[in-house]
Amino acid sequence: MSSERRAGTDADAVLGAIPRWVYSPKTTEEAREVIEATAAETLSLGFIGGGTDVQLGAPMRQLDALLQTGGLSRVVEYAPADMIVTVEAGTTLAKLSETLQQHRQRLPLDPPALDRATVGGAIAANSFGPRRARFGSVRDLLIGISIVRADGTRARGGGKVVKNVAGFDIPKLMCGSLGTLGLIVTATFRLHPLPEMEKTVLVRSRTAAQVRGLVARLKAGQLEPTSIVALSAAAARFDVAVRFEGFGAGVTQQAARFAELQQREGEPCEQLDDVDAQAWWKKHDDARTKGAIRAKIAALPNALETFLPKLEAVREHLVDSILVWYASLGLGFICGASSDLAAASRALADARSALEKANGSLTLQAAPQAIREWIGAWGTPPPAFSVMHRLKERFDPQQRLNPGRFVGGL
Amino acid sequence: MRSEFVPVAHAVLTELASVVGPKNCISDPAGLRTYECDGLTSFRMVPGAVILPATTEEVVEAVRIARRANLPIVPRGSGTGLSGGALPVPGCVVIGLSRMRSILEIDLENAWMRVQPGVANLDISKRLASAGYYYAPDPSSQSVCSIGGNVAENSGGAHCLKYGFTVNHVLGARVVLGDGSVVDLGGPVLDTPGYDLIGVFVGSEGTLGIVTEVVVRILRKPEATRTFFATFPSTDEAGQTVSDIIAAGIVPAAVEMMDRLAIVAIKAATGLDWPDVGAALLMDVDGPVAEVEHTAAQASAIAARRGALEIRRPTDEAERLLMWKGRKSAFAAVGRISHNYIVQDGVIPRSEIANVLREIARLTTEAGLRVANVFHAGDGNLHPLILYDANVPGEEQRAEHLGGEILKLCVRSGGSITGEHGVGADKAPYMAEMFSEADLQAMAELRCAFDAENRFNPSKVFPTPRLCGDRPGKYVPSPLELSGEAGRG
Repeated sequence: MSSERRAGTDADAVLGAIPRWVYSPKTTEEAREVIEATAAETLSLGFIGGGTDVQLGAPMRQLDALLQTGGLSRVVEYAPADMIVTVEAGTTLAKLSETLQQHRQRLPLDPPALDRATVGGAIAANSFGPRRARFGSVRDLLIGISIVRADGTRARGGGKVVKNVAGFDIPKLMCGSLGTLGLIVTATFRLHPLPEMEKTVLVRSRTAAQVRGLVARLKAGQLEPTSIVALSAAAARFDVAVRFEGFGAGVTQQAARFAELQQREGEPCEQLDDVDAQAWWKKHDDARTKGAIRAKIAALPNALETFLPKLEAVREHLVDSILVWYASLGLGFICGASSDLAAASRALADARSALEKANGSLTLQAAPQAIREWIGAWGTPPPAFSVMHRLKERFDPQQRLNPGRFVGGL
Repeated sequence: MRSEFVPVAHAVLTELASVVGPKNCISDPAGLRTYECDGLTSFRMVPGAVILPATTEEVVEAVRIARRANLPIVPRGSGTGLSGGALPVPGCVVIGLSRMRSILEIDLENAWMRVQPGVANLDISKRLASAGYYYAPDPSSQSVCSIGGNVAENSGGAHCLKYGFTVNHVLGARVVLGDGSVVDLGGPVLDTPGYDLIGVFVGSEGTLGIVTEVVVRILRKPEATRTFFATFPSTDEAGQTVSDIIAAGIVPAAVEMMDRLAIVAIKAATGLDWPDVGAALLMDVDGPVAEVEHTAAQASAIAARRGALEIRRPTDEAERLLMWKGRKSAFAAVGRISHNYIVQDGVIPRSEIANVLREIARLTTEAGLRVANVFHAGDGNLHPLILYDANVPGEEQRAEHLGGEILKLCVRSGGSITGEHGVGADKAPYMAEMFSEADLQAMAELRCAFDAENRFNPSKVFPTPRLCGDRPGKYVPSPLELSGEAGRG
């Protein structure tokens, strides 16, 4: 086998487990060989891209080997006229963006830390950022995928045309599967044009009810922002950024219309200049990556008010906490540090239980070992867990790919 | 294609009738014949029995009965599918969902709606119209096709260029599996922890389970829509116009192309006063007013620069709808100029449109047939309509052969054998053109995780039958299983 291999060190630890071996394949074929060889020895195997979501999930039951995808960073095919690109999984989103910019195109997938986040990691972790409000999540952008299965077999699903219903949707199966079904080696995405103009409008210090009203107003006004993000650094108050993108005339009109609607409500707003806008979105990215505790919350978009007391109760036990709320999606993150882990755990468990009762969820994106042990990373397994369990069995019969890291111990 | 009728045992029929009521359990020859095909009428097979349940519980009971009797089940929506997805298999029980047509819940603020599978696609939007919302996917058959069928086929439509397909608009579903268990996949709240099961279920063509409730995403209507109809000397200029519009960074809501023969057919069927030209484009841009004023003007200018003969803009909504009616009636319209025709569905990279159309023309001449082309040009989804006369010996075979050659051409060009009609019974033999044995095996694993007994819609999608059998490789039970928290099965 030709892939580089070295002994694992503390720096390679994934959720506390130090792999015995670390592989750094340079080609997809080398990656395939690693998987085949480790299958022969029934070694447990984890995958890592840029490590931006390395803390996501439950600790693995065992981690014999770790495969780093960083060496798989080629752009395999870029067809600007067809607005599709195929890249290897270790390509960072920043590098991909550079390539696409040359043809005024983009992949509107914008999780924080684009310079480290890889394509494969973003798919596996279902990473997303503010633009999900308009362009959907990675599942809505991914049109084809090539994987290496647990036994070292390569398989492909989807294709390189945007519209395609031939066969089962293997690309969707891989979205959010966290390296438990196979290694993603290449991915094909549909692309979007880079907008001619971008404007961010900021509304300061709103209550949860006002955030809800603001979203309703945008909809009633038939405005089509690409991002609506509420950030709360102080208890129960949110700064809301609304971003419009597109051709100049449309963006200008939409931003003006939004300002007018806000004015009429007696809720002033300010249009940020480019420098301030960039600074605000950077603040958002920093909020998403900071703190030893990061919990993702999912609820219906209008339920922020309902759950806010529970979320605030979590924040009471966090230092420098920030609540990020994607107001039209019903998704958010609470991030911060904690000195009283037991109290934070209890508050998180309490918030989770309230969210789950409303068919929502609270999952740990990052947390100290103690919290993970007390409350688990994932919460109650979803209603269709039996099917997920069978999927894992079919795709990874030796239970060796990231064993135990996923929902319900999969 | 016709095989022997295989009846369902009387005792089983009695059991089924006791669940859904005698009048919703069809077993008489004339009644069964109504269900012998879907929109792909060249494939026919009389089912063993047809039942029309009214609730999830009735579906569960029916599945259990069929399972005990070891009968295959073929789910069916409105029967408008064009790939034989609802084609019965010998001795099967067809479970038709046409009686389950209630709208169960509407949540405008959170932008979702829960409906039963038999609800017609267009009825969702109709119900929301007064509130200013709609459901985006719009297959041409939308006034009759059911949302359950759309889920099975991952249906598209003209406007999926900007808005995406059924899979991008279905948030969740309640599904009855082959063992009679009921599971909820996804739901109105995003990012249910675990695998994206709703993502893989949509487009599974009735092979993974029967959907009995669907949660759809609904959208606020765009502020404005601008439409133009432009004519061109040939498909070359029309194709180039589409490429230039996309290259200019415009994302039209829809761009449809029709060639000369398609235009002739549409005119004959609808009486629209479209000119006799080599090609026509019908385009929608939608969004906030200032945005669409800009993009519509840009797109018109591009069309003019690329040699458009005429550019028409509808003066009101009625005229706009008429233009779209012309396009949406294209498949049926071809019946006016030909006794018989095959509706083909393939996809190519958009940049290959001109080349592929020329190659199709060459293949068509070689076969001594005629092809009308109507397609979603923005995403390269071709619908060649192959005209033939079944009364002329050998012509039907030549037409079918030509259809196959066109599909192979699509795959060679980097495309797909189906963009929206599905694989079904029709295209299962062509799956191997696109996918390797290993690719198909991965799909089969997915199938086995949902439906290990191959109960639902057997013989569809896959070119060769696949049994789930024992799990591949050395099996290691998970700790959950050992602790009894989760079982195998």
